[in-house]
Amino acid sequence: MKNKSIYLALLGALIVFTTAFVGGSQAEAADKKYTIGTDLTFAPFEFKDSSNKTVGIDIDLLNAIAKDQNFDVDIKSIGFDSAIQQVQAGQIDGMIAGMTITDERKKSFDFSDPYFDSGIVMAISGENKEIKEYKDLKGKTVGAKVGTESATFIEKNKEKYGYNVKLLDTADTMYDMLYSGNLDAIFDDYPVIGYAITQGKDLKMVTDYERGGQYGFAVKKGTNPELIKKFNAGLKKLKANGTYDKILAKYIKSETTTKNTTETSIKPVKDEYVIGTDITFAPFEFSATNGEYQGIDIELLNAIAKNQGFTVKIQPIGFDTAVQQVQANQIDGMIAGMTITDERKKSFDFSSPYFDSGIVMAVAKKNKEISTYKDLKGKTVGAKVGTESADFIQKNKDKYGYKVKLVDTTDTMYQMIASGNMDAIFDDYPVIGYAVKQGQPLKMVTEKEKGGSYGFAVKKGTNPELIAMFNQGLKELKANGDYDKILNKYIDSAKKKDTAATVDESTFGGLLKNNYPSLLSGLGKTLSLTFISFAIAVVIGVLFGLMNVSNIKLLRFIATVYIDIIRGIPLLVLAMFIFIGIPNLAGFKINEMTAGIITLSLNAGAYIAEIVRGGIKAVPVGQTEAARSLGLSYGKTMQKIILPQAFKIMIPSFINQFVISLKDTTILSAIGLVELLQSGKIIIARNLQSFKVYLIISIIYIVVITTLTKLSGVIERRISKNG
Amino acid sequence: MAEKVIVENLVKKYGENTVLNSINTSIADGEVVCIIGPSGSGKSTFLRCLNRLEEPTSGSILIDGFDLTNKKTDINLVRQNIGMVFQHFNLFPHLSVLENITLAPTDLNKIDRAEAQKKAMDLLTMVGLVEKKDAYPESLSGGQKQRVAIARALAMNPDIMLFDEPTSALDPEMVGDVLNVMKKLAKDGMTMVIVTHEMGFAKEVADRVIFTDGGNFIEEGTPQAIFENPQNERTKSFLDKVLNI
Ligand SMILES: Nc1ncnc2c1ncn2[C@@H]1O[C@H](COP(=O)(O)OP(=O)(O)O)[C@@H](O)[C@H]1O
Ligand SMILES: [Mg+2]
Repeated sequence: MKNKSIYLALLGALIVFTTAFVGGSQAEAADKKYTIGTDLTFAPFEFKDSSNKTVGIDIDLLNAIAKDQNFDVDIKSIGFDSAIQQVQAGQIDGMIAGMTITDERKKSFDFSDPYFDSGIVMAISGENKEIKEYKDLKGKTVGAKVGTESATFIEKNKEKYGYNVKLLDTADTMYDMLYSGNLDAIFDDYPVIGYAITQGKDLKMVTDYERGGQYGFAVKKGTNPELIKKFNAGLKKLKANGTYDKILAKYIKSETTTKNTTETSIKPVKDEYVIGTDITFAPFEFSATNGEYQGIDIELLNAIAKNQGFTVKIQPIGFDTAVQQVQANQIDGMIAGMTITDERKKSFDFSSPYFDSGIVMAVAKKNKEISTYKDLKGKTVGAKVGTESADFIQKNKDKYGYKVKLVDTTDTMYQMIASGNMDAIFDDYPVIGYAVKQGQPLKMVTEKEKGGSYGFAVKKGTNPELIAMFNQGLKELKANGDYDKILNKYIDSAKKKDTAATVDESTFGGLLKNNYPSLLSGLGKTLSLTFISFAIAVVIGVLFGLMNVSNIKLLRFIATVYIDIIRGIPLLVLAMFIFIGIPNLAGFKINEMTAGIITLSLNAGAYIAEIVRGGIKAVPVGQTEAARSLGLSYGKTMQKIILPQAFKIMIPSFINQFVISLKDTTILSAIGLVELLQSGKIIIARNLQSFKVYLIISIIYIVVITTLTKLSGVIERRISKNG
Repeated sequence: MAEKVIVENLVKKYGENTVLNSINTSIADGEVVCIIGPSGSGKSTFLRCLNRLEEPTSGSILIDGFDLTNKKTDINLVRQNIGMVFQHFNLFPHLSVLENITLAPTDLNKIDRAEAQKKAMDLLTMVGLVEKKDAYPESLSGGQKQRVAIARALAMNPDIMLFDEPTSALDPEMVGDVLNVMKKLAKDGMTMVIVTHEMGFAKEVADRVIFTDGGNFIEEGTPQAIFENPQNERTKSFLDKVLNI
């Protein structure tokens, strides 16, 4: 019979289509690499940087170990839960995702040696002065992410400290609620909070962190034993040669570091050197929001001490006091943004200069007028009283024809430039570089003026080994790049402002500029998912729709069962079943794109089958009777008479179903498919700008859907006209 | 005269409702039979059984020797020899007049396209609608639609035509055109079974008139016999009602 051959043709097309995808994923698996799953959204262990590259401690560590141990890895950012399921399903070989080693998990995983000691810590908003310890939480609301160690901790201690518990799904919701005041304090893994703070989140930690679990690299129990062995061996080596510390330091404010072995001829003679410093000279030394000292001087000295194997105790006592105490032999040396001068060389021995200072001009970020000193004619230029900058602008005032304004403090200067009362300011270049990095709306448009150099100092004639170790360590840090890293952390240098990684993502412009490639690729995935799966769904839908109106009971039964099953399963569950369940049952891998397409096709297919049935039923029965009475077969009648009329009736429902399918693609973010929504979630995980990113994404969906709807409307009208 | 249609013990039930109650009749080649009777008496059902648009519950129908109640009979083939015209025309709205007519002949590979179109034009000439060949059904009047429907049925060269109240849905001024086409067909020797309320037409054209009521053929005979000298009370009262309007 003719109608049967149509069904068969359609079915055949469907099978070819599906196997093409599945076949593709099998070919991929033939590669010998280890495929390792990771979370996407667990900074600083894994996240996408603004250039959309996956980075983080886990990634760097695994790559370093792979290189060291001579194996290849293909790291897939698929989300923590998906990674767990895929490891268990045998789809991937292992996972590294900030995964705490627990007895429970040991039942289904084999873990490497721990590669990170985690723990949880409380964070409060930067301006909160009320909460200093757990006791201050009485009556407050405390948040944590569902299912985490932190959640367990705050649940356990809720009676003891008398706070309310609120558990959230995502980190960004948690941060948003903290800022909006809906939460008073949050608990999270301490590296995560540490990272958020280094990213400029207005948070602070006021308590010590609670020791917690250890992270391990995991494979499915009983599989890949050689991989675990290699990981352990590589980890040991990286710890020994310092790479491990370097990777950690790159992402977390370095505090936990292991001892270091450097071959230097110079040996410390004291157990501990006490070094004085200023505490008010940002970015060289200043007190961070959590009360710890930080700054270039502090980090540099600590790094050098570690590198050279001596111990320092830094005392922030103020510049003048430090000078006096060094001279009084009360402390061993000082590092305090101290310019090396001939005058000072009479009473101090200096190390080699560790920083070339100088002054630089800054103008408001929006200013487009001033790009050289010559543009200053008739403008007002400011500097701080009694500084090198003040001398410089006084000296050049007539040459460039500007007015000089001297102020007392840096703050005043920034305010006046913001209000337009000053057109340009001069200050030490590290100070301005730091201000830019902190988000002051300033920019440097000219090169800096050469100025003095800073040195580390001891009392003349004392502690020669200390100076020698400092010089040696400085040399090594400069050689291995750590020196530049420390500087870049605090100073936005004028020269490399283009390549600076930290583009401002707090504005829509910045967000779009940084992220449009990943948003576009997400949109591309969303659209191709929708179009491909909708095309398949139409085939499925027509097939089952026809079966559903057939005279043959068995066909009607099959169609009804299919439609009822699919409509009865939530789309998310269906996606999980196909992505996780099929590989489990059938034993072959299926990638998330294929799984996504199958899911959406099956789902939309069921609804389209109903639309087709409805459309066919809406064609008057007299049409069938007329066609059949002429001697046309059932199939011919369907094909020539009923379906052409039914399709016209169905078009609005098809358009509607298409829009629904497009929206349904978002659900596939759950299986780690990086479509538009998931792209947005990844961006949010990095910059926590949830509101703005979701707004951008919503607008994209609205624009795309409205455009497609309008377009289909035009097509619909054209088809109706041709009827 | 050769028997074209032989119906024996035809029963049609919808559930408990017996719509045709053991009908026996035969129709000769070239005979024009008009079926009259009150609404709901089973006229349409009988007609639709003749091309198996309705499945008989029991009994047998033989058409040109084909047993319609036998599952093995290729019903599509039999139907090609039986044209049917419906009360509500049932033209295909997405096809032009010409396409409505040529669809079945070309699609069933009886004849090629050009030949089908030539034949269609002949038929349109016969029903007087040549100028409407490219029109779509929605732009035609009821009478025009019904004449196209007749042309469509004739395109397959059937030797039996079934009409189910072909003029009941028409405005009165359209009725004549349709009836004239049917008269022409009758004159040309077509075997016709016509369910109708047009008594004048039946009187003029029919070889035999059958009166149905309650699923039975109550009375049949020549038009003169039925209209001028009905024997059965129910026939009489029905004709009284219809003719005295
Ligand atoms: N598909 C059906 N299902 C149930 N009953 C039907 C169906 N078609 C017709 N009937 C019933 O059969 C009887 C005869 O109908 P019909 O043959 O259309 O009568 P007529 O054409 O003489 O007016 C009516 O009582 C009608 O209700
Ligand atoms: Mg009827």
